[in-house]
Amino acid sequence: MADPLASLPARPGPAVPVREPVFHVRGLARRYGEGEAAVTALAGVDLDLYAGELIVLLGASGSGKSTLLNQLGGLDSPSEGVLEYRGANLAAFGEAELTVFRRDAVGFVFQAYNLIPSLTARENVALITEICRAPMVPEEALALVGLADRMNHFPAQLSGGEQQRVAIARAIAKRPEVLLCDEPTGALDVRTGITVLEAVERINRELGTLAVIITHNAVMADMADRIFTLSDGRIVNVRANTRRAAARELKW
Amino acid sequence: MSHLDRKLLRDLRGLKSQALAVALVMACGLAMMITTRSLMLSLESTRDAYYEQHRFAEVFARLKRAPLAVRDQLAAIPGVAAVQTGISMQVTLDVPGLAEPAVGLLNSLPERGTPVLNRPYVRAGRLPAGRTAVSELAVSEAFADVHGLKPGATLAAILNGTKQTFRLSGIVLSPEFVFEAPPGSALPDNRTYGVFWMPYRELATAFQLYGAFNSVSISLAPGASEGEVVAAVDRVLAPYGGRGAYGRDNHPSNRRVDDEIRVLQGLSVAFPLVFLSVAAFMTNAVMSRQIALQREQIAMLKACGFSNRQVGFHYFKFSLVIVVAGVVFGIAAGVFLGRQLVDMYHLFFRFPELGFVLDTRVLVAAVIVSSLAAFVGVAGAVRRAVRLPPAEAMRPEAPASFRPALVERLGGARWFSPSFRMALRNIERRPIRSGLTCLALAMATGILIVPNSFRDGVAYVIDFQWDIVQRQTVTLTLVEPGPARALADFKHLPGVVHAEPFRYVPVEFRSGPVLRRLAVQGLPERGTLSRVIDASTVQISLPARGIVMSAKLAEILRIRPGDEVTVRVLEGREREVRVPIAALAEDFAGMAAYMELGALNRLMLDGDRISGAHVVVAKGRWPEFLDAVKNTPRIAGCVIKDAIREGFRKTTAESIGLLQKMYAMFATIVAFGIIYNSARISLSERARELATLRVLGFSRGEVGAVLVGELVVLTVAALPLGLVLGSGFAKGILAGVNTETVRLPLVLTPSNYAFAILVVATASALSALFAARKLAEINLVSALKALD
Ligand SMILES: Nc1ncnc2c1ncn2[C@@H]1O[C@H](COP(=O)(O)OP(=O)(O)O)[C@@H](O)[C@H]1O
Ligand SMILES: [Mg+2]
Repeated sequence: MADPLASLPARPGPAVPVREPVFHVRGLARRYGEGEAAVTALAGVDLDLYAGELIVLLGASGSGKSTLLNQLGGLDSPSEGVLEYRGANLAAFGEAELTVFRRDAVGFVFQAYNLIPSLTARENVALITEICRAPMVPEEALALVGLADRMNHFPAQLSGGEQQRVAIARAIAKRPEVLLCDEPTGALDVRTGITVLEAVERINRELGTLAVIITHNAVMADMADRIFTLSDGRIVNVRANTRRAAARELKW
Repeated sequence: MSHLDRKLLRDLRGLKSQALAVALVMACGLAMMITTRSLMLSLESTRDAYYEQHRFAEVFARLKRAPLAVRDQLAAIPGVAAVQTGISMQVTLDVPGLAEPAVGLLNSLPERGTPVLNRPYVRAGRLPAGRTAVSELAVSEAFADVHGLKPGATLAAILNGTKQTFRLSGIVLSPEFVFEAPPGSALPDNRTYGVFWMPYRELATAFQLYGAFNSVSISLAPGASEGEVVAAVDRVLAPYGGRGAYGRDNHPSNRRVDDEIRVLQGLSVAFPLVFLSVAAFMTNAVMSRQIALQREQIAMLKACGFSNRQVGFHYFKFSLVIVVAGVVFGIAAGVFLGRQLVDMYHLFFRFPELGFVLDTRVLVAAVIVSSLAAFVGVAGAVRRAVRLPPAEAMRPEAPASFRPALVERLGGARWFSPSFRMALRNIERRPIRSGLTCLALAMATGILIVPNSFRDGVAYVIDFQWDIVQRQTVTLTLVEPGPARALADFKHLPGVVHAEPFRYVPVEFRSGPVLRRLAVQGLPERGTLSRVIDASTVQISLPARGIVMSAKLAEILRIRPGDEVTVRVLEGREREVRVPIAALAEDFAGMAAYMELGALNRLMLDGDRISGAHVVVAKGRWPEFLDAVKNTPRIAGCVIKDAIREGFRKTTAESIGLLQKMYAMFATIVAFGIIYNSARISLSERARELATLRVLGFSRGEVGAVLVGELVVLTVAALPLGLVLGSGFAKGILAGVNTETVRLPLVLTPSNYAFAILVVATASALSALFAARKLAEINLVSALKALD
């Protein structure tokens, strides 16, 4: 099987604004179920996301944020619409191509951390670096999120914030082109939440990774380049910050 | 080692007791398969090598007497490779230390050189030398063992009316007598029946047969047709009182060895099949649970770029580890048990050496079969894991919807405690899961029934054969069939309270292509001593016309009451008649056919004759009776019923008992494994929910009651199903091991059921106790925070 990403352009350097979008989305819709019970989670979304950007998705619970993020990350396929990743039609990818896409291009961070409880922090990261093309060493990724000294702890021995930072280290160790975070601070207190956001911000800045963060906390919008607000499966507002606030300056 | 494999190992550590339970169940199935298959191979290869090295013949015939020159006619038959003629005579023995007379079968050894066929194997001493000062005999090992005879010992035999003393030159074995039983008997009687060898000249001279033979063995040239040779031998021997030639199929010793192999074959399939199915089922339960617990982990792995194949293989590896453990334990146990059990065959079968031969093909089969079982067990669960869309798995599972249980809806609510009601609702909420647990418990109950039904079957056979069928104390046989008035002589023996005559006539039954040789027993119409019993244990009155035969014999001849069978008489004037089947008799050892004595005599056309009598002897006059019997030359044999019963108990019953104990042990392990596993799974499924109840203020006892209540309800529901299932297993397996020589009836006793229930109840109680203890250990905070 040909590597579906082989034809993709090489990664850009850090923070160089490239006008080719990473994601090109038009009229994206996703429906679940059939007939009476059908639910429209996304009802026609248009957006272009660029390398090096830090994006925040806002919206009430049930507005379709996770569905959109899952579409971008190749976890799920659209019902209709255009979904392109660097010119390649993600919507037409099969299971095997999606797997390669996720393995090499996407880093996921989930609200529930989703660490393997039977593996240490370092091993959780190594689990993923083992299957990637040009990963960092796990130690380096953990150092980036400030956990160099907790490497040999099991998830149960780490606090929620620390677990979430391990999850970020796991996501960035593959040097992904996009980092998709679904309510990464949802289960954390303010101070811990900020350390986690700092880690994401740092990756975005230092590696030029396109980062998309879902939150329903409007305060976090200040750290973004652009903010998309969803409601009932549609983008109802887009706004850009002229100056990004640093994560530690955010006030809850 | 990859990190995914590291995860596997650590997860397995958490699953170790469950994995061990599954591996043990698998090991039990494999051990049985390896043991029985290897015993089969041991018997087969030993037999084949023995037959080959000692030149076991392929066609056999007895006759009245033929001059030695007839040998050349036999050798000239196309397809005949070698011919061994000789003399074979039944005589009465006086064995030192034995109160009753014994019967010896004396076989001649050629005057010069070793026999061409059926060469004896000398275990101790040597073969008898011709023309020494004292006459010598070699004795079969089975008889020598029972009586502690050593080379050099002496023993008396009555040859043609003359009592002669012999010295034992040696102890020998022969491929013709691997299994040594009196003619027509399925059971060995090594106490009063022995096989001996002596030089041709002496034996022939004693019976005025010098220059003649009365028995012949023949081996076939490659590609020769046994049927054609048998027919040709019959033609050659007809003028000399030939009694019908027959092949190895009808050779009693060979047949018995074959039957044993057939029994092992049945066992080697039936039991492992049940156990491995159970193991597959358990693998599925464990893996389904594991996968359900790791739903989010699977989603994460897939989100991070692991392919379906990698994820699927990861979970399949869990069961591979179980298979490896099961195979290792199974092989070790199988080899160990096989080594122990092979010695048991010395009870029946006399081979120069019977060692344990491990069947290496079965090892390969074991690995394949158990991998297959595990694969089947895990495939569904893994497929579900792989199919799970990652986005889906991230969403929490929909909360369970509860409703009042059926009994509550029917208005039974007030009789139950809240915990019990919760248990009922839980069962009803997950009908498939509960159904499967119930089925597992039923299987555990069922497999416990089988081995004990073997034990009860044997006990029944013993009672049936020697209390219901045979009620005599002793069976006395005349040297030759005599006139009916001989019965009066039996009655006059000291201590005889009652006597009933019988006649044995060797015959060949033929129906279509099937032949069987055995003795027809002529008995009084409605005797009180040796009785003919039907399937509902009611005595059959022997009709004036027609024959009553074992149901098994009719099955083999493929005939039914009302059909006719061809009977060829192999004694006296040879003739063939068609006789109708009047009824079928029930028996479990060997096969038999019965006729009313008068009817049999009319068939024989030689007047009113009897072969002997079944007698009842008064206890107090026993020594006097035996003394008289020993001093009556006309009495050739004296079979004491209790001695036969004891012999059966010590051989057949003991060997079945050994297998039964082994199977009962395995079944118990499996029952515990299944139940423990079910309890673990239901505990794991419910840990969070039960912890929630604790947080809401339920006491530890109340929460435990929910779990225990559920197990109790399921166990109670499973028991009757299990008893039915087990009875079915027992029936199937017994049918599979039912042969011409030994059959076990399906006997299902209350104590068998009670034992199964007891084991399952104990295992359930222990598992419940364990679950309750685990429940106490659950850290409330962590149980609520994260799954497992
Ligand atoms: N697998 C699914 N099956 C059915 N409905 C779904 C599924 N996933 C999401 N939905 C529905 O789609 C809508 C949007 O969900 P989601 O994207 O998870 O919202 P958000 O993340 O913004 O809270 C919700 O109404 C949700 O119930
Ligand atoms: Mg969401």
